[in-house]
Amino acid sequence: MIQLSTPAALLQVALPSAAQPAVIAVGVLYFSVVVAISVWAARRTRTASDFFVAGKGIGLVALTIASVSVSVSGFAFIGGPGFIYAVGLGAMYIVLPAAVTNVMGAWVLAKRMRLLGEARNLITIPDAIGARYRSPAAQGLAAVAMLVGIVGYMATNALAMGVVIDSIFGVGLGWGIWIGMGVTLAYSASGGILAGIYNDVFQGMLMAAASVLVFLFVLGYGGGLGEISRTILAHDPTFLGPWGKLTPLAALSFFFVFSMGSLGQPQAVHKYYMLRDPLQLKWYPLLKTLGLVLVLLLYFSVGVGVKAFVLDGRLPPLPSPDQATPSLLLNVTPIILAALVFSGVAAATMSAANSFINIGAAIVTHDLPIAFGRRVRNELAWGRSITVLIAIAAAITAQRSGTMVAFLGIFGWGLCASTLVPALAVGLNWQGATRAGAIASIATGLVVTLALETAAYRKAFTFPAGVTASAVAMVASFLVFFLVSWVTRRAAPLELDPDVQLVMEL
Amino acid sequence: MPEVNPSGTTTRGDTTRTAALLVLCLAILAIAIGYAAAFRQNGAPVWAPWLLALGIPISLGAIMTLGAARGRTGIGPLKLPFLFVVAVLAIGFCAALALPATESPLSKLWLGLPARAAVVIYGIGLLPIVVLPVVYALTFETQTLSAEDVERVRAMGRENRERASLGSNVSDRELSE
Repeated sequence: MIQLSTPAALLQVALPSAAQPAVIAVGVLYFSVVVAISVWAARRTRTASDFFVAGKGIGLVALTIASVSVSVSGFAFIGGPGFIYAVGLGAMYIVLPAAVTNVMGAWVLAKRMRLLGEARNLITIPDAIGARYRSPAAQGLAAVAMLVGIVGYMATNALAMGVVIDSIFGVGLGWGIWIGMGVTLAYSASGGILAGIYNDVFQGMLMAAASVLVFLFVLGYGGGLGEISRTILAHDPTFLGPWGKLTPLAALSFFFVFSMGSLGQPQAVHKYYMLRDPLQLKWYPLLKTLGLVLVLLLYFSVGVGVKAFVLDGRLPPLPSPDQATPSLLLNVTPIILAALVFSGVAAATMSAANSFINIGAAIVTHDLPIAFGRRVRNELAWGRSITVLIAIAAAITAQRSGTMVAFLGIFGWGLCASTLVPALAVGLNWQGATRAGAIASIATGLVVTLALETAAYRKAFTFPAGVTASAVAMVASFLVFFLVSWVTRRAAPLELDPDVQLVMEL
Repeated sequence: MPEVNPSGTTTRGDTTRTAALLVLCLAILAIAIGYAAAFRQNGAPVWAPWLLALGIPISLGAIMTLGAARGRTGIGPLKLPFLFVVAVLAIGFCAALALPATESPLSKLWLGLPARAAVVIYGIGLLPIVVLPVVYALTFETQTLSAEDVERVRAMGRENRERASLGSNVSDRELSE
């Protein structure tokens, strides 16, 4: 059994060069559309609310596609299929939670966050925590935790962008990172989240189209899923076992962290504020789940298909699992489909990076000053400046060693999950939760995740098979939240404002 | 409007939320015990994955119930869909743990996959999609959010803003005096 604490967060290794005229042409076309959308959005961004939450005026379809787009990163196109190729169906436990997470998020968070935004003009996730517990300290601590997580996410996405752009245009990894971040920065700083959302819509449609086409191609090329399975079962039956080559504990851990942890992922939760009309939430989970299924078809089909094609000799053995998607695209598929997928990967990394830049800028210009009892006078101007700084910091961090960047990316998800899920997801639905419970829970998630991930990174400690730092931190954070809230339960009614109580009771 | 009792932990009549919280707490505790057991020197005992296989679906069902519960009416028509999804996930995980490993080139395939893999991919990965988002949409106005709810919150938001602007006017006057 293979033991993996967490899958490689994103692309960490160089991809083979795809710099062929068709791929370059599609790549140039893709970047041209991104620039055009950004120029249009920049002209419409006039206030901080426009910049951070698109003036709370995004329609249902646009928001759904954008949310799908930021929910998957380059991992779904490159790292994920490679992970399936390496460990079999056990890798599916990372994406299987998508069957429940969107509707769970809608029931647990979407309505209450959107209504809080309506009652209080909130624009960030720490805003919601501050309002729920009437506590700038809780808001500030949540902001710090998110900022640390976002640094990790940003660095991995910047590196992934560099890898993909280098593969398409052959410019080298260093230049790939700066070009990718430069384009993302241009539309983030000028058009804020409005540019981000409409670029996400374009990028999401591109990703879905690429994913469906590759899925159909793999099934056709392999003679159907049954034939693909028969080939694999003849050589490596464990691959198609219910846990693949993982231990049951490891596979179930993935399911736990990626299902419950989804309630604390800022790039998805932040979107709830942006919907023009709260009543449009009705169709949001259904549309988003269907969109995610389309985008994730590639994850499954390439991982399983390439395994069969390598086993029956139609593809050469892979030098590393991350080469599964590039190997299929460059050896077997029509070049125009390869071009579409490479642009789709660039789209996935750019949309995720844009979303994190925007959230990070909101934390620095909005939440942290509030935690210290101050307000920034011109949030729009400061937001644009901080956006530039965050992007440059991420690009510089991404130039460091891949191992360091992978480490940052791994704890990004876990940190947001362990610090935000109890205080936000449970706290917005339980009037007995207290300020002390929320602060203790956020602090526990932050300290436990950082301590365990750092110890594991420095090889000072090895986790038992199937146990991950993210899972342990999230469980610890939950238990501390319940315990401290229970101990301090007499304070609960005093910490709840009437409008927040109304939102929690609806 | 439900009343908050002096302990602050429950609202009168809100048994659904109280039960959901208790179940969520117990499920998380079961998952914690499963992880803690894996730290034993001999490795994870055979029962550790079973705790997760049951604890994960129950915790997800509990937190959904907590989120969907509405004042004193609880989760109403959502009981059955929630039970169905928790059962599908729990049965899927437990079947994957309990069924013998018989995958071979001669295995019977279910929609292109051997039986245990089909249970995981189609049962856990697809069945909830057919049920939950559709139920969410169909019960949205009665169970989740109505136009009246939105108007009540907007009215409260307007009051908040008026109070805030009144407060800032008063403090401006005090400063100028």
